[in-house]
Formats: sequence, structure tokens, C-alpha cells
Amino acid sequence: MFGLPLATTLLVFGFPLFWVLYLIGFLYVSRGWDQDSAKEDDGS
Amino acid sequence: MSGTVIFFLVLYYVVVLGIGYWAMRRGAGEDLEGYLLGGRQVGPITTALTMQSTAMSGYMFLGAGGLGFAQGYWALWYAAGDIGGGLLNLSVIGRRMRKLSQMMGALTAIEYLEKRYPSPAIRLVAGSLTIFLLGFYVLAQLIAGGKGMALVTGISYPLALAIAVGIILIYTFMGGYLAVAYTDFFQSLVMLVGVMWIVIAALSELGGFTAANVAIGELDPTLLSVWGRGLGFEGQWGVVAGALLIFSVGYMGWPHVVTRHMAMSSPATARRAGFWATIWSLFFVPAPYLVGIFAILILPGLDDPEMAIFQVAEQLLPAAVTGLVMAAIMAAIMSTADSLLLQTGSIASRDIYERFINPRASERQMVMVSRGLVLAVALVGYAIALVEPPTVFSIVIFATSVLGSAFLPAYVCAVWWKKANTPGALASMIIGASVAFIWQYAGLVETTQMHPMLTGVVSSTITMIVVSLATQKISPVPPHVLDAMNVSAEVGPIPARYLDATEFGLANEAAAIANGLEEGGHNG
Repeated sequence: MFGLPLATTLLVFGFPLFWVLYLIGFLYVSRGWDQDSAKEDDGS
Repeated sequence: MSGTVIFFLVLYYVVVLGIGYWAMRRGAGEDLEGYLLGGRQVGPITTALTMQSTAMSGYMFLGAGGLGFAQGYWALWYAAGDIGGGLLNLSVIGRRMRKLSQMMGALTAIEYLEKRYPSPAIRLVAGSLTIFLLGFYVLAQLIAGGKGMALVTGISYPLALAIAVGIILIYTFMGGYLAVAYTDFFQSLVMLVGVMWIVIAALSELGGFTAANVAIGELDPTLLSVWGRGLGFEGQWGVVAGALLIFSVGYMGWPHVVTRHMAMSSPATARRAGFWATIWSLFFVPAPYLVGIFAILILPGLDDPEMAIFQVAEQLLPAAVTGLVMAAIMAAIMSTADSLLLQTGSIASRDIYERFINPRASERQMVMVSRGLVLAVALVGYAIALVEPPTVFSIVIFATSVLGSAFLPAYVCAVWWKKANTPGALASMIIGASVAFIWQYAGLVETTQMHPMLTGVVSSTITMIVVSLATQKISPVPPHVLDAMNVSAEVGPIPARYLDATEFGLANEAAAIANGLEEGGHNG
């Protein structure tokens, strides 16, 4: 594809895809983090 | 040099200095936290872009392009890890480090290490090591600035180098984290626009991505492989793993980058900053490597591969755009150099001078020490860059490999492993730095086919685990540190008892003294 060998195509496009999937997973797992921003002196 | 190029460069400097001045005025009159961390009020987009533009230095325009030109698609192994470096950093340690550093009252990345691993030795070793390595890293930025300026303007290298050093110094002396963060934000956008412009120009010159690859394949098919020119790296998975690690997990060990976590407006900022960092990196990171690869066709007789991107820009772009690209290159250099110099100065004044030499130092004295060291680093760098400039690629790989190897386990375990203690952290830093350094300079990369980053980080990680476990009885992690770690792990506001970091500081002093007495008792 794109005039590149298969392994190189995976290197060029596979890693960016991996990081996009990692980002989606991270955004899902961290969806409750906004609670950290609650007023700090509310906690005790 | 054409008037248009001069116009764009001057315009760029005026805008950057204007933003820096505005940010400096905004942060003026605040306390030390305001100066060193922007009052911990930096939002997600600025956090993401200051982190990325600091991490992406002049290396991206010289070293990355040069590597692509010399090795073809093999160079993309570095980009493959680099694209996720910011995201990995923010997702693994961002939220916890922001929270823990505030609870501890730490204002520099080195002070943070001493408070997590209570011992003056931690601060002395980490501070000295960081100043030495960041000094090297600054050297690479000066050389990149001098080389680029000389090529584009046509003036001699020594004069170009002097101008580059002068601009970087004036800019850094404006001072303050907020000034650095906001100018980095602007510069990251200039970098992105500049590099995308060269990629588009190169692709249109070569008839598109596929046509360019076909032409490179006809010239030398090994340049299209993942093993480098002449398949020189075939089967060398140790080198490939190092190339992937250095700019991905390696970022978590760079003090001048992890400081960005400490300055975030809230722990949750890490989440949105991770999104913006990834978007920016997906477009920016592969581009310089690709331009270097395309330069094989555009500039077949190129003498210095590190000049590939400059010369492609000069050859393909009109003067106005060359001015913008030159500004982008200076942006990459300056956004890293100012952060490195600010960190070096801060560490010298707060972590070495105030901590060990003059505990009653006034703010004025600390600023003088900071600026004196910045000036000394710049002058020494100028002298080395003038007499015998090494390649930007070799310096950056050296400095970042040793930094990552030394500090990665210390920063990651600081928030994730409750058994990570002071002897473990100290031994890990010393062994990691030594192994990466020796690997690079004893020529072990060629004989073992292992990257110094890989061997360094594996050594420092194993050392952290083994030494921490072996010394749990004689040097346990103090209860107040464990409690702070537990709080930083939980999602929720910081409890009121931690809003004043004085108590944590006193508990730490007591733990360090008790530890010292106990060690003295054991030795005696």
C-alpha cells in the first residue's frame, strides 16, 4: 500500500492507530476524573 | 537573505516577546509558586502544547530529518513511540503527580523527588545530574539555531551562533513558567503550520505519497524497509526497542517535561491535555522524518543530512513561506531551550544553592544564581558549539537516553509503587545514568546491538525493585508519604489537611533526620 512494503505500512499507520485506540481507552477510563476538580476545601 | 524572510522572522520574534512580556506581567508580583509553576493555573490545551513543544526540540528539524535522509523509513521507529509520548506521560503520572506535588508543596521536579524519597542525597544527586544533562541538551539547541540561521541568512556560523545564543538568552531572562508556557503554546502552532507546509510542498513536488515511495524504491529498495539503508539494522530488536522507548516512556523521566504536570490547573487537566497532545503529535511528529526521506529525491547531493529540512524548504518554498518555516524551526529550538534553561536555573538556585549552600537565600540572590548559571551554560555551550560542534542527533540521543534511564523509575514509582524507597530511588538513578552513559561511550551499541535507552531503563528499573525490596526494613517509606500517595491515587478533592504543605514538610524533615540517625546507628 502507498508503494511501501507491508511491514513499513504497519509501522507508518499501525502505531498512530494504536495511540488513537490508547487515547480512546484513556478517555473512557478517566471519565470520572473531573471529581478531582471539586472545591478542594470541601474534602476533609 | 530576502526582505520577506527577514520580515517574517522579525514578526515572529516580536510576537513571541510580546506574549512573553504579557505573561510575565500577568505572573509578576506573585510568590515563588507563581514564578516556577505559573501558580498551578495552566489549562489543558496550554499544558498539552507546552509539554509537546518542549519535548520536540531543534532535534525534530535537524536530527529527525537527517535520520530520515540517512536511513529511510527505519527512522519512523523513533516517531512511532514519540506520537504517544505526551499521552503516555499524562495518562500514567499526570494526575497523581499534580496532586502529590501540591500536597507535598514541591515547586521543582527535583524537590518533588526529595519529598517523595526523603533524603538530601536524592536532591543533590538528581539536581547535579539534571543540570549536567540539561546543559548538554541546551548545547544541541544552540548548534541547531546557529546552523539553521547560518544556512538561511548566509551569514557565518560563528556570528549566526552568537545571534542564536543572544536571542535565546534574552528570551529566557524574561523568566517565569507562565511566560514559557504561553509562548510555547504559540510556538507549537507555528511549528505545526511550518512543518505541514514543507510536507505538502515536498509531496506536490514529488507527485504524491505513493509516487515518492515508488521513486525511492527504484533508487534503493532498502530505504523503504523497516531495517534502514542496506538493511543495516536487520534483526536488531534491541536498537528498535530503544528507539521506540526513548521518546515514549522516556518522557516520564525528563524533569523539564514532568514539571508540566505540577503546573496544571487541576489533576483532571491531565485528561483533556492527553487528548490535545495526541492530536498535535499525530500531525507533527512523523512530518520531519518524512521530509528527510523525501529529501533523498529532492536533494540527492546533500552533504550534511541534518540540513535536509532547511534545504528542502529553501528549494521548494517561496521566500515568505521560508520565513515562516524558519520561524517554525526557531520556535522548536527556542521553546525547548527556554524550558531547559529555566529548569537548569531553577534547579541550581532552589535545589542546590538554597538547599545546600545558603538556606537563608533571598529571592533576589536566588534569581542571581539562576541567571548566572543560565549565562554560564549558554557561554560554555557557545564555546563547544563553535570549536567542535557534534551532531544534534548524537547529543539529543545521549542526553535523553541518560535522563530517561536515570529518572523514569523514580517518577513512575513515586506515584504507583508504595515500596519504592529512598535507597531504591538513589541506586536506580545512579545505575540507570551510568549504564546508559557507558553503553553510549564504550561503543557497546554496535557490539551488543542494544540501544543505550533500553539497557539504561532496564537496569534502573531492576535496581529500583531489588534495592527497595532489600532495604524495606532499614529504610521503610514514611507513613506520611504513604498517606499522601493513597490520597493522590483516589479521585476526589485534596483533603483540607493537605492544603497547607507545611506539616508535610516538617514530617519529611523529621523522617530524613530519623533516617540519618538510624543509618548512623547501623554504621556505628
